[in-house]
Amino acid sequence: MTGSDGLIFVVGEEKSLRELLLDSDVLPLLNGVLAAGAGSARLLDQEGEELWGASAPGGRGELLAELPVLLEGEPVARLRISGEGCGRERLQACAELLRVALDTVIRNNLKRVLTTEIHTSVVNSSHQALLKINADLSLSEARYRELAENLETRVKERSAELKRAHTHILQQEKMAAIGQLAAGVAHEINNPLGFITSNLHTLQKYVSRFCAMLQFYRDHLKLDLPMETVSAEGERKWRELKLPQVMADVADLLSQSLTGAERVTRIVADLKGFSHVDDAQEMPVDLNEELERTLGVLSHALAGRAEMVRELQPLPRVTCNPQLPGQIFLNLLQNALTHAGDGVRITLASLFDGERIRISIADNGPGVPAALRGQIFEPFFTTQPVGSGTGMGLAVVYEAVLNLGGTVTVADAPGGGADFIITIPTGKD
Amino acid sequence: MIEYNEKERRMVLKLVYYGPALSGKTTNLLQLHEKLTRQGRGELMVLDTSGDRTIYFDLLPFFLTAPSGLRIKVKAYTVPGQVCHDATRKAVLQRADGIAFIADSNPAEAQSNFASFDNLERNMSLVGLDIDTLPLVIQFNKRDLPEAICEREIRNTWEPTGIPVLMASALRGSGVTETFGALAGLVYHRVDARYGLAATHGLSCEEFVGQLTCVRDETGEGEP
Repeated sequence: MTGSDGLIFVVGEEKSLRELLLDSDVLPLLNGVLAAGAGSARLLDQEGEELWGASAPGGRGELLAELPVLLEGEPVARLRISGEGCGRERLQACAELLRVALDTVIRNNLKRVLTTEIHTSVVNSSHQALLKINADLSLSEARYRELAENLETRVKERSAELKRAHTHILQQEKMAAIGQLAAGVAHEINNPLGFITSNLHTLQKYVSRFCAMLQFYRDHLKLDLPMETVSAEGERKWRELKLPQVMADVADLLSQSLTGAERVTRIVADLKGFSHVDDAQEMPVDLNEELERTLGVLSHALAGRAEMVRELQPLPRVTCNPQLPGQIFLNLLQNALTHAGDGVRITLASLFDGERIRISIADNGPGVPAALRGQIFEPFFTTQPVGSGTGMGLAVVYEAVLNLGGTVTVADAPGGGADFIITIPTGKD
Repeated sequence: MIEYNEKERRMVLKLVYYGPALSGKTTNLLQLHEKLTRQGRGELMVLDTSGDRTIYFDLLPFFLTAPSGLRIKVKAYTVPGQVCHDATRKAVLQRADGIAFIADSNPAEAQSNFASFDNLERNMSLVGLDIDTLPLVIQFNKRDLPEAICEREIRNTWEPTGIPVLMASALRGSGVTETFGALAGLVYHRVDARYGLAATHGLSCEEFVGQLTCVRDETGEGEP
């Protein structure tokens, strides 16, 4: 029997004799009694209905034996044997034999049926359980497959997102470096501009005195006074206006102002050259010149704080985007200034070995611990307190060097400190 | 779960002998078959075994007729105790009207007893039987073992549950009919409450249990 959930099988339900015995089980036995001389042999149910029966052609004779047939201890049928009275004893013994035979057949059949039932039940329930496990597994597999597929898409999305953010931050870092630079440069320009303005104010006052002197002469000449009087009056006015000191100062003021203006011109030229605002295209670049330009725009930060040692050798030109070397040098020099503190000595060295250009920027600061060397070029890596550094300076260097087709590594500088070594192939030339 | 057919005036009751492997469930039925009178008792049906271990079940049927003419069949089953035959246990447990849990008195088997009882609780709930209301008795078998857990300890553990606990030595035939009788009594009350065995069918508890546990009269009829 199968229940609604497909898992219930009932074993050992009540059976009737008809369900347990076949004609081929019973009839040969009944016929055997006929052969032994009985008139009829019949099996009746409890209501007296005939279940199986066999009769000899000669009639039935008198009832000689009536025996109960038991199924699981319950009387379910009666065995009736009829025949001639003369064979009573023999046929009664036959009837008893038949009852035992039927009993044995019933028990064996029942045992077989029960075995089949329990076996079927167990096999079915095991099968149902396996089907359920299979369904569960399929479901779970489908879930995982979907997850895996989604995961790939999600990872792609996230990667693209990260790449965008990374590019954005690199750009921001470049802008931040330029901002820092701009502040320094503004200070640098402000200084000469200050004294030029001040000089111009003084000159304005001086010019008004010159004008007063000229007006005095013009007025006195109109009066037609004697030359001696005019000369004496003029001398008095000349001294009153302190023109001898003014005349001596003017030359200094003018030359100072011109020098200041030239300084501003030079700063602007450096900045322009460094930023290569006019040169977006690739062009042959002398890296030594770019290094000097960078030092020029950093002069305000370096002056009085850092000692520069140059060990530069002539280099072949490298064809590249001219903004890249400036980004590399600016960030490395700022890095050295940040970590080595005041009184730093920065050694700049360049050489060309015939294949590659090697530029080294070494400081005498604390150096980079070996354990951190693998990480310092990663974006956002910083040893400074949170909020002080963006952790992007060296990442910008790494990216720019990569664009030049080169490599950047960090080593120990002789005598302590960090030595950043940039190697750039000149194969492009 | 009681199978009752009013029209045919028939009732079938199913008792299940549960318990851990080798605790003596089949031995209980063998002893009942040996000790009880053949009158109203069917033959013990031992389905095929594997190395003398039950793999399907054993069945000992009883038959009696109430004064009203109601024909009552009581079928006592065993389940296979080995853990691997759980599907068979579940199939046999279905629609049980009473359970005799045969526990092993060997202290080394204490864990098996608890594991099997857990398994009984789980399977009962799986086949929709309520352990709190279904007639249940516990038999601690193998009392003849010298190392058997002491009775006091057993009673301290099990009596708070309210489940009747009986001591037996099935191999020696003691406590077997008592266990069967105790379970039959519990089942009688449950059936009586629902179908009025005493009121409607004139069958008292003593008669019911008495007929089922009538010990063979040594001088009376024997096996054919």
